[in-house]
Amino acid sequence: MQKAYKLSILYYLAFTLLLITSAVMLFENKIGFSYASVLEYYIGNEERFIPAKSSLGVLKIILPHIFVFGLLSMVLLHFLVFTAHRYKRNTIILIYTTFLTAILEMFTPFFILNGYEFFAYIKLFSFFVFLALVVYISWLLFYSITYD
Amino acid sequence: MKFTLINNLQKDSAMSLILKGFLVFILLYLISNILVMNSGFGISIEDISTTLFGNEEEYIDPITEATFLEFWHTEIFFIMMILLTLNAIFIRVAKRSRIILTNILMLSAVSSLISLPLAYYISDFFVNIYVLAFFTWHFIAIYVIFYSFWKLNAKSV
Repeated sequence: MQKAYKLSILYYLAFTLLLITSAVMLFENKIGFSYASVLEYYIGNEERFIPAKSSLGVLKIILPHIFVFGLLSMVLLHFLVFTAHRYKRNTIILIYTTFLTAILEMFTPFFILNGYEFFAYIKLFSFFVFLALVVYISWLLFYSITYD
Repeated sequence: MKFTLINNLQKDSAMSLILKGFLVFILLYLISNILVMNSGFGISIEDISTTLFGNEEEYIDPITEATFLEFWHTEIFFIMMILLTLNAIFIRVAKRSRIILTNILMLSAVSSLISLPLAYYISDFFVNIYVLAFFTWHFIAIYVIFYSFWKLNAKSV
């Protein structure tokens, strides 16, 4: 890979870390990281005058994220093809896990709205696993570009 | 991004045309972004300070934290995707100065994005850095677009 392309990818990784930082801050600000706060955000709280979200409202929120999660995952993962991690068994598992956790993170609110409150845990779990995977992929790319 | 694998972009008239069309769209986005920012968030130090911190004399409330974080989050995503694709074309067509221009373009864009929360949470001094970095990366991106356009029209790339 040419030096200029490596440089461009390194900057892309820096932007990715910024995006993750902003995502964590936004999640903390709007939803919160506790089981109760996730439930409260989606099914509301009459005592605190927090209205429940509708399915359509949630769909409007996740609509841009469907495209963005897919694009971000695809761009990051496809860079792995240009490294020594290409076609390794772990890379295949990594690809499946990244896309699956992204889907879980986006669609668990619909289960919460339909009374399956346990999915608040899965929402939190998938959010952090997805971000951790993005950081891990970024680290693999950074290491490959810098040392290989 | 298959265009990175084609040996001579100028000879591939279809790919060259596609990339030129894409460059026009990025140029339109950048110009529109400046106009929209001017009417909303602001592009001058005074306007951005008013948006972020409000203005008691003019009864303008500061932007809420949630709105600010949404704005910042969206900006990061758009800028990273635009600069990745634009820079991929530029690297493919430019021979000299591509490393230095890539560094200036990316560093100024990253600086603008980092200085924004620093201005909101820490000190209004960072608004100055944001404005400087914002215009730097926009103007360099516009230069890169015109340079790439010119090189795609040249006899050989």
